[in-house]
Amino acid sequence: MNKLTVELTINGEKRKVETTPSTRLLDLIRDDLRLTGTKEGCGKGECGACTVIMNGELVASCLVLAPQADGVTITTIEGIGNEKKLHPIQRAFIETGAVQCGFCTPGMILAAKKLLEENPHPTEEEIKRGISGNLCRCTGYQKIIDAIKLAANRLSTRDEERGEKDV
Amino acid sequence: MHQRTVPCQYFAPQKTEEALKILFKYEKEIKVIAGGTDLLIQYYDRLYEINGWLDLKNIKELKEIRIHQNQMEIGAMVTHAQLEKSEDIKKYFPVLSKAAADIGSPQIRNRGTIGGNIVNASPAGDLLSPLMAYDAQFKLLSLQEEVVISAEGFFTGPKKTILEPAQLLTQIILPLPSERTYGSWIKIGKRRALIIATIALALVVEMAKDNKTVKDVRTCLGSVAPTPIEIKEIREKTVGKNFSQLDFNQLGQIVEDKISPIDDIRGTKEYRKDVAKKIMINALEEINAAWRLYNE
Repeated sequence: MNKLTVELTINGEKRKVETTPSTRLLDLIRDDLRLTGTKEGCGKGECGACTVIMNGELVASCLVLAPQADGVTITTIEGIGNEKKLHPIQRAFIETGAVQCGFCTPGMILAAKKLLEENPHPTEEEIKRGISGNLCRCTGYQKIIDAIKLAANRLSTRDEERGEKDV
Repeated sequence: MHQRTVPCQYFAPQKTEEALKILFKYEKEIKVIAGGTDLLIQYYDRLYEINGWLDLKNIKELKEIRIHQNQMEIGAMVTHAQLEKSEDIKKYFPVLSKAAADIGSPQIRNRGTIGGNIVNASPAGDLLSPLMAYDAQFKLLSLQEEVVISAEGFFTGPKKTILEPAQLLTQIILPLPSERTYGSWIKIGKRRALIIATIALALVVEMAKDNKTVKDVRTCLGSVAPTPIEIKEIREKTVGKNFSQLDFNQLGQIVEDKISPIDDIRGTKEYRKDVAKKIMINALEEINAAWRLYNE
């Protein structure tokens, strides 16, 4: 198998990884970069557990080849926040009980982040469409929707106070 | 055990010309990859079988949507999300825009492409019946020649097309419809996201200059035959007639009679036939309502 080098910016950090043409981006993120917050569910683009934000777009990292990610900018769940400094969406997920087994949570939070960036005041229907590529096998959708509504409220209040729109 | 004789190659050229040279050299030895949302699922547990990738991601001209004279030209690498959001596509080809919005999920729409959807040639490909309904032509390039072929001539069976190993689909060409063109898109599936259509209908009706008489009708369906198909008998029954005097029930019956669906995990033949008639009637009623609204 031919080796090749992929350079990308992940969670603000520039990384260079030696990989192969048929390695999936998901495996590069988990195995080479050791960022295991990104999960593998179905491996076929249906469950959204492997969701990351690539060049500003929501993608299923199981359906991207590593070399296709050469030169891109990626945000994974590790780039959203951590235990010491939770993102408002993460806090809202915890407070509303939107996390059960937790396997879908990283993908759900990234989908929610992307949704709220594009649409800071989504309706319930818009939230459902925004997370339509993410399955929760605990079926805790209502609480996930509640969490996204709560996060939307807090983020817009925060932005009004700050006078800015960034999520 | 699969034995690899040559190392796996990966190419991502900047120009179509370079891509064609690579294709000419390797032909079947290489897989062309666009968004990968079908291909990587197909090869999910056997990625090791692939000897080489030709990735089209760096070819800028394949990512453009533009109006040129009386045609819309859509690059093969335009994503479903681009199609869904494009104001020009919404304005001129609403059925295509709606079909793109119904594909997969945000994750899939951001990666999957119109060219990939066409070349994959699934009988259930969501964009295929709308493209056929808008009289799309596909531009196929090879080092030797340029071929432009109608959607109807391109598909030959389930996952089968006339595309040769050294040819690349580069562009989709749609004639701009007149202002008096109405359309309806109906996709039936077990859920709204991430579903392969049990049956889908793209109906496009163009009125004559008097805005009452039917000038042309294209009734195209997916998941009812080995390829996306047009029911041409509908055109024979409607062209030249006053739209408001058409017998919608009879037209629905023609659609039911002319399709040849199969039983599969997404639905039975009987179900598909029943539903085909009903969605045809619904689509005609939707167009009727839009047409009345516009003219009253």
